[in-house]
Amino acid sequence: MTVPRRRSRKQQGVTYDDLTGTLRERTVVALADPVLAANLRTAGEAWSEQQAKMKGDYDFDQMRDRARDIRRSNIRDLPALLAQLQNSVRENGGTVVRAADGAEACRYIVGLARARGVRVVAKSKSMATEEIKLNDALEDAGLEVVETDLGEWILQLAHEHPTHIIAPAIHMNRERVADLFREEAGTNDVPDDREGLVAHARMRLREKFAQADIGISGVNLGVASTGTLCIVENEGNARLVTSQPRIHVAVMGMERVVADWDQAAHILEVLPMAAIGYDAANYVNLITGPRREGETDGPEELHLVIVDGGRGALRGTEFEEALSCIRCGACLYSCPVWRNVGGQTYGSPYSGPIGAVITPLLEGPASPGSRDLPFMSSLCGACGDVCPVGIPLPDLLVRARARSSSPHKTRTGIGFRIWSHLWRHRLTYRLTIVAWRLALRIRGKGGWVHRLPGPGANWTEVRDMPSKWPPHR
Amino acid sequence: MRTCLSDAIAPAVWKATRRALERAGVEVRVPRGQTCCSQPAWTAGHPDQARAVARHTITVFAGTEDVVVPSGSCAGMVIHTYPELFAGQPEQEAALDLAGRTIEFTQFLVKHDLDPRASACGPVTVHDSCHMLRVLDEQDSPRQALANVPGCEIREMANTDQCCGFGGVFALEFPELSGRLGEQKAREAMNSGAPEVVSCDLGCLMHIAGIAHRTGIPIRARHISEVLGS
Amino acid sequence: MADAGVVRAVLADDPVMHDIGLDAALRAAGIDVLIWPVSLGRREILGLEGPAEVCGVTVPTLAVAARGTLVLEASPGHGRGLDVTNRHHVALLPADRIVEGLAEALARTFVVGQPIPSAVSLVSGPSRSSDIEKISTLGAHGALAEHVVIIT
Repeated sequence: MTVPRRRSRKQQGVTYDDLTGTLRERTVVALADPVLAANLRTAGEAWSEQQAKMKGDYDFDQMRDRARDIRRSNIRDLPALLAQLQNSVRENGGTVVRAADGAEACRYIVGLARARGVRVVAKSKSMATEEIKLNDALEDAGLEVVETDLGEWILQLAHEHPTHIIAPAIHMNRERVADLFREEAGTNDVPDDREGLVAHARMRLREKFAQADIGISGVNLGVASTGTLCIVENEGNARLVTSQPRIHVAVMGMERVVADWDQAAHILEVLPMAAIGYDAANYVNLITGPRREGETDGPEELHLVIVDGGRGALRGTEFEEALSCIRCGACLYSCPVWRNVGGQTYGSPYSGPIGAVITPLLEGPASPGSRDLPFMSSLCGACGDVCPVGIPLPDLLVRARARSSSPHKTRTGIGFRIWSHLWRHRLTYRLTIVAWRLALRIRGKGGWVHRLPGPGANWTEVRDMPSKWPPHR
Repeated sequence: MRTCLSDAIAPAVWKATRRALERAGVEVRVPRGQTCCSQPAWTAGHPDQARAVARHTITVFAGTEDVVVPSGSCAGMVIHTYPELFAGQPEQEAALDLAGRTIEFTQFLVKHDLDPRASACGPVTVHDSCHMLRVLDEQDSPRQALANVPGCEIREMANTDQCCGFGGVFALEFPELSGRLGEQKAREAMNSGAPEVVSCDLGCLMHIAGIAHRTGIPIRARHISEVLGS
Repeated sequence: MADAGVVRAVLADDPVMHDIGLDAALRAAGIDVLIWPVSLGRREILGLEGPAEVCGVTVPTLAVAARGTLVLEASPGHGRGLDVTNRHHVALLPADRIVEGLAEALARTFVVGQPIPSAVSLVSGPSRSSDIEKISTLGAHGALAEHVVIIT
């Protein structure tokens, strides 16, 4: 049963506004950065090692199968679960807003901030708020927005985009971080060592927590049965964001809901395993409404903003399984492409295999910023192997390619039309093979072709083509 | 199944496959009208074009014999993708039938305990193509098949499960990225200490060999059929 | 606490805390004791003003053995930030509150039809961040040191 499509206004895209060059050009830039390469390698290998250890202790396949079934059922029952979540949150004193798209969500939040006379906003990490470009909207309205997740704060100071869902600033070195902190604090009196830097950040950010009138967080999972928002973290900043300011705004993608605590418990176990390779995150904040009568800390108001942004339209389609995603980042860490170019190359807050699938789906398959993303994959299948909720990512990538309408794809479409006419008959197939082998022999020198013409030119950009086989004998 | 890559780049591969099978006592028929499993069109996002060519393949291989393929990726295409490609199509039954009879070459040898009586070969390192590893879920059959070859010593490379970067159309659309992955793979192969890398997939080997030659990494490449059919 | 140089302790107003007489014991040791709710301003609660070496004392409702997770519930007598706003955190955990797995702890805490606490925090270790050079460092936002005292 499909959700009735809403006619939303043209929504802002998901990809960043400051994209430069084509996707391929951005990969070339990333490949030329040795610092990035080293950091990505460290991060990817550490994650792989930790995964190997975990899998020794836990039955990944069984946990994955159960998580997959849970999430599939959540998406199947989505309208009812969202209705239940909404009611439960309201029963506990929270306000719920269903936003058709990012623009509507931003309008509500900016409107709320204005109405409450807010000057400073403290944020904890939220992919959804990056997707809807909430920071820009708040800053345009004259508010000061501070990212409090250490990595996100570093990026904010550097005016950069994240490299990874879970560890956004891993492409940066300590020296660069120290420089950014000096600039922010307006003083050179900033430590150089890692522990000193963390301590410095802690105090600077506490200043912001003290000033913030609104705390904005994401939501890892919404539990429909009790109206509880689960926010998972390791640093503790989300706890401060959701407990210190007088207003808490939680932004949630509409697909991030589970039915009950049995399901929530399983997903809350699977998430840190896949994300960081440990069986628990340091802090899991389970928030049900604003503070109660008699409590002296905690927000006085809780606003849950549930964003559709193109998600509802995926239900009932061949891409429905992409909605199972719990944003663990495992597919990124396992991806040979991501491990070599990093998340910024994708140009979207959602990078890696899942980002390559959902960014064009959420933006619209003709969107110039993202329509090439599904092609940036060798379809090796590592992502499908590691996804803790069993999303068939390689299949979705191929389906996304079929749906893409990039000009490049139109050109290959012409090529493949010719190809299919020639190669469905024995004789014409034979002819092309003979012609090709002749061309190889003519152009080959010492058993290799160094430059192919036309569509083959991209092959010989970086490698030779053997004109005889085996090539070395 | 010869595979279009073998036809176009290395006929020695399908001929060696036939030789190996015949030496092992198998009766081999090579249908003359065969063309391509259509994977390039499928992965490029053109399922209709893929279907047109795949239909021809289904017709050519109609029958009851096992279809042996010296390519993990082509075998994977037929076995795992033809059912999706032809779901709800008139050829659905024929497609499922073919998918049920298709098997990759080394898997066939191991399944039927066949010895192709290959001549000796030296140390090699094995590249597990992503399709063998993940689509066919197979890592053992190439190694078991090589175990029968006199003098064949397998020196495993590190990170065998990392993609070589070929990826079909990916190699042409993101050549620098594809090249970087290929270079990493060629170096791992070289670091294994073996002078040559073998694999069940010609696409990977063309790519690895091509990069090794361009960048001067000393590693040779052969398809596993060439070792087993030598 | 004396070893760590703690000069002030903020205690949850909880029967377990009162039973063991912790407030009196700390006062006797020369530590300034405040019992929740406190009338400190936000800046002092966050440690931007006042003493730096402050310890929050919580009483978990449950703990999960599998990963050493504490379950802390917000209530009028138990501030929701006691374990993170201060540099030190001590949890007083009666041994009979330890359950085996997370699912059981959550099922006991969240019962449909009964009042749900406004904030429940699952705490499995001191605050850490790996955002700088991918090396895990303590004390990013929450307490730098966590101690659990199991009361049998």
